[in-house]
Amino acid sequence: MKRRIPLLLAAAAITAGALVLVACGEKPENVNGQPQPFSLTLDFYPNPDHVGIYEAQKLGYFRDAGLDVSINSPTDPSAPIKEVAAGRADLAISYEPELLLAREQSLDVKAVGALVDRPLTSLIWLRKSDIKRLGDLRGKTIATAGIPYQDAFLETILARANLKPSDVKAVNVGLNLLPAILGGRAQAMLGGFSNVEGIDLKLRHKDPTVTPVDQLGIPTYDELVFVAQGSRLKDDSEPIRLFLAAMARGTAAAEKDPKGATQALLEQNHSLDPKLTAAEVKATLPVLSQASPKRPYGYMDQAEWQQFIGWMRDHGLISSLPTPTQVLTEELLPGRIPG
Amino acid sequence: MRRYLLPVAVLASLVAAWQLAASTGLLANVLNLEDFLVPAPSEIAKTLWEDRSLLADNAWVTLKEVLLGFGCALVAGLAFAVGLHLSETLRRAFYPLIVASQTIPIIAVAPILVVWFGFGIGPKLAIIALICFFPITVNTLDGLRSVDPDAVKMMRTLDASRWAILRRVESPTALPFAFSGAKIAVAVAVIGAVFGEWAGSSSGLGYLMQLDNAALNTPRLWASVTVLSAMAILLFALLALLEKKVVSWR
Repeated sequence: MKRRIPLLLAAAAITAGALVLVACGEKPENVNGQPQPFSLTLDFYPNPDHVGIYEAQKLGYFRDAGLDVSINSPTDPSAPIKEVAAGRADLAISYEPELLLAREQSLDVKAVGALVDRPLTSLIWLRKSDIKRLGDLRGKTIATAGIPYQDAFLETILARANLKPSDVKAVNVGLNLLPAILGGRAQAMLGGFSNVEGIDLKLRHKDPTVTPVDQLGIPTYDELVFVAQGSRLKDDSEPIRLFLAAMARGTAAAEKDPKGATQALLEQNHSLDPKLTAAEVKATLPVLSQASPKRPYGYMDQAEWQQFIGWMRDHGLISSLPTPTQVLTEELLPGRIPG
Repeated sequence: MRRYLLPVAVLASLVAAWQLAASTGLLANVLNLEDFLVPAPSEIAKTLWEDRSLLADNAWVTLKEVLLGFGCALVAGLAFAVGLHLSETLRRAFYPLIVASQTIPIIAVAPILVVWFGFGIGPKLAIIALICFFPITVNTLDGLRSVDPDAVKMMRTLDASRWAILRRVESPTALPFAFSGAKIAVAVAVIGAVFGEWAGSSSGLGYLMQLDNAALNTPRLWASVTVLSAMAILLFALLALLEKKVVSWR
């Protein structure tokens, strides 16, 4: 009997260790008081797509709205939507296709506004690749980012040029799109953004041809959307409304003062290259969702969503056919009267 | 048979606890588990069965990479160990470099490998070999140096050549050490394969994991992880078996 005690002790130690590990992952309790803590998880590491966010932060628009916004970068681009679904983040930036996939997997998430209301994902090739038109892709190596819906993009694009998937060599390079194409191992890449990788290659004097996928036969979609937890929208949506209103102000301010906005982005992210970032911001401002006399900031076109949902289903990416109102809500957009 | 009882029992109770936690609402709440983050073992098992041919095809790709990469590391590691053991100058020159090689994050070498080797099996082998050769080299070298000095002295009095000392005294002493290094290496080789596939691939378990992660297909992601773990355990066990047969004097 005596010999059992060390074993029990060891088991207890292991259990305690495991509990400590679990406890380390706990979200700290919200502290009462003003302004209210509000966590935003970006889709990727900070880049010019987020210029309106950093501008709003710098100019104190979030604070004006009573929010203390913390901006976090994800471990990988599919993580933010899971964080929101699990209630670990108040809001996340994700992609319209990713949101639809998440809904298909029964994640309780909804889009509450568009950050970028058109596709940025582009097919890119360099002059040295000798590709002049889509048909020239035959026999070429195309680097992709390892995202299944983008593989479906590629199929649609190839079909447009009467090519089969087997006519090209598609290679998943994850985050190594630029090395793959710059090193010449791949002749084209799909997955980079027109306003980020497209501009980067241009500044490197590589003479890139950058074509967003909606010009290649894929129905237009909202590249970046703000995503919230569905159940949260029912009873605690006010902070999100306030956040979006501040975003509208931040984006309008960035539009008026691109240099100041670039500065705001650079000040918070010292690793960004100033010259490249300035050029990227210039290319990004026109694609950011903006308020107009007809449309509020963050507007999501339901007819376009419907069409894109149909495309996703036709390509076997999702099996159901949700209506736009099941996957998005416009209730919280600035200028909307709370229902 | 009894020695397998304990690990199997530990594994089974862990899986059972996981199943219970994932499928019981209360426990899942306490642990902050969500089924899209951590699927229940039963769901993973279902996926393992339903997607068995897809998983097997990709596992075969990864297994080939692991075996070849490990093979390269074994040859290079043993050669390095003997070389560094025989020459003090070589040891002083290269030892720090060997240690430094272990500190290079894959994310830094991956782009270089993609540009140098393209998208074939080359970059995967390079990454696996890079990860694996360190434990093999260091362990074998330690083994070679742990020889009983009296035994070497005796060989010298018998007028034995350097080669004879290495073959008859030092190598047998170093063998169990080399096996320890190889066992560590083979367990981490599968991680190397996954990293290698993330750098550029069109098949393999790492490739499949990346796609499934992006598609939020968590059950299949974990099914791939399960296959990968099984692969590592199996390779480890094979080496342990081989060690038992070869190092018979222990």
